[in-house]
Amino acid sequence: MIQIKDLHKSYKMGKNSLHVLKGINFNVEEGELVAIMGSSGSGKSTLLNILGMLDSSDSGAYILDNVPIKDLNETKAARYRNKFLGFVFQSFNLINYKSAAENVALPLYYQKVPRKERQEKALKYLEQVGLKEWAGHLPSELSGGQKQRVAIARALAAEPKVLLADEPTGALDSKTSYEVMDLIQKINDAGNTILIVTHEPDIADMCKRIVHLKDGVIIEDKKIEQVRAEQYV
Amino acid sequence: MFDRDIWQEIYHSIRNNKLRTFLTGFSVGWGIFILVLLLASVKGMQNGFTLQFNDDATNSIFVRTGTTSLAYGGFEAGRRIQLTNDDIEYIKRSFPNDIEYISPRVYRNTSARYKSETGSYTVQAVYPDHQAIEKTIVNKGRFINTNDLINASKVAVIGRKVEEDLFKNEDAIGKFVEFNGLPFRVIGTFTDDGDDNAERNIYAPTSTYQRMYGQTDHINQIALTYNPNYDLTEALAFSERLENVFKRRFKVAPQDQAGIRIFNYAEVFEDISNFTGGLDIAVIIVGLLILLSGIVGIGNIMVFIIKERTKEIGVRKALGAEPWSIIKLVLFESVFITALSGFIGLGIATGLLAAIGPSIKTAAFANPSVSMSMVVTATVILVVAGVLAGLIPAMKASRVKPIVALSDK
Repeated sequence: MIQIKDLHKSYKMGKNSLHVLKGINFNVEEGELVAIMGSSGSGKSTLLNILGMLDSSDSGAYILDNVPIKDLNETKAARYRNKFLGFVFQSFNLINYKSAAENVALPLYYQKVPRKERQEKALKYLEQVGLKEWAGHLPSELSGGQKQRVAIARALAAEPKVLLADEPTGALDSKTSYEVMDLIQKINDAGNTILIVTHEPDIADMCKRIVHLKDGVIIEDKKIEQVRAEQYV
Repeated sequence: MFDRDIWQEIYHSIRNNKLRTFLTGFSVGWGIFILVLLLASVKGMQNGFTLQFNDDATNSIFVRTGTTSLAYGGFEAGRRIQLTNDDIEYIKRSFPNDIEYISPRVYRNTSARYKSETGSYTVQAVYPDHQAIEKTIVNKGRFINTNDLINASKVAVIGRKVEEDLFKNEDAIGKFVEFNGLPFRVIGTFTDDGDDNAERNIYAPTSTYQRMYGQTDHINQIALTYNPNYDLTEALAFSERLENVFKRRFKVAPQDQAGIRIFNYAEVFEDISNFTGGLDIAVIIVGLLILLSGIVGIGNIMVFIIKERTKEIGVRKALGAEPWSIIKLVLFESVFITALSGFIGLGIATGLLAAIGPSIKTAAFANPSVSMSMVVTATVILVVAGVLAGLIPAMKASRVKPIVALSDK
């Protein structure tokens, strides 16, 4: 699903150049649940941004679902993001004046799906995350865990090839974190490819594979026995 | 393009920033309000001028003569030019399509007497056409007619002031009044909107006066109105033709302004419309500058809104919003606020003018109003203004980097 070869990225900070990614190589197969771990400054967020086409690499190849991702202009990047990727953020990033259902329907709006169909799909995905009866509520009326579940429903609504989650449990207490991880595991069980950036070992243990980044290189890449989140819920 | 979602976005944005939206909208509405009122005021001045000159028919021309100031055509300077009845016929023959009404004027000072009351007045001996040229309003009896002219009848139409002075409380119609000792029958009285002095005039048939004073066909002045369908250019062209023809007829040098003078009201109107035209331009510039401050205000607010919504725009981009859809969002909002507040200003201004405009009627200012074309122009200006106000903020918004917007720091 994802092939990355010799990815480099550096940021210019005045006269100095900060080399953040120093040759990343890794592949992700369809249906994988990968945790990308590392301390802050290890380059894990930069890697996720490049994977999410929010940022571009300096050199190296990135192939997503057999499509080489390069030379993107803004419009093209927007289309690819919309078609291939679903995002889940640490701070949820729901639009605060839109109801849960409207938030979920937003990527569909950018796919130019007709209004009625959008609403139906939004309800379907809200049901999948167990929030159908909250469809009409504004984000401010939801708890943190509920907000993240709406965000996951929104990421799923576009039916992306890959789900990218940046610290999805970073703003949640441990009980709620496990609920969200339980949901992510179930979505993965259904065959979706998911990448999670996290620095919490217990969250990483709930994935099927852990990629460890340090100072811009992968120092460890191992398949693990998945810990099911269900038992903690 | 105009789908429901866009409107929903605009609605949310406005609802979340009611006061701010109101304040900026107000500046644009105020700009348009002032622009419309200023333009209407210029129109009011124009109307006022027209009203001032409306006393005489606005399409009137007067031909006057004097003594030549230049030697020309074998004649020395200082020759007196005398108009006669023939000149009237000559004009009628030469310009059949240009002339509406024509009448000579023969002036005589007269001392008038009725019973024991006396007074001194000017008698103008004229043709029946003169009523239309001077817009004389006959309020009792009738004006001079063709029969009076043919018979050289000793009849007179007297002004309201003359009647008041001489006849006191009596009705003058049918009574005989003496002009320089000769009895004239009063056949009508008239009023004049212009001024009281005009009501001290007396009209009599030209033929009567020409016969009474030496059997001449001399006249002092020719008054005429030209084809009312003529516009300013045609009117000026006609009076120029008339002047050329008369100067040739009397062998007066073309540049001699003393021998023959053609006075055309159109010239006055040309001056006035030049003046008000200039005023119009000045007013439009001032109005647009006021509007500009409103536009800058809206642009400013849009920049703020975008700064506030940077994160939201980042989220939208991450979800697949193309730059154009972000630009569209900002532009529509800007155009919507500008147009809506502009229309409110426009509506209040035109409503105000419609309500109080017609009741304003002073010497130099009457019925200020706006034309449809002005309203349409204002609308176009508003939409363009909205686009301009939103353009820079929209470009800024479309350049928001989702990665920067989404960072939680």
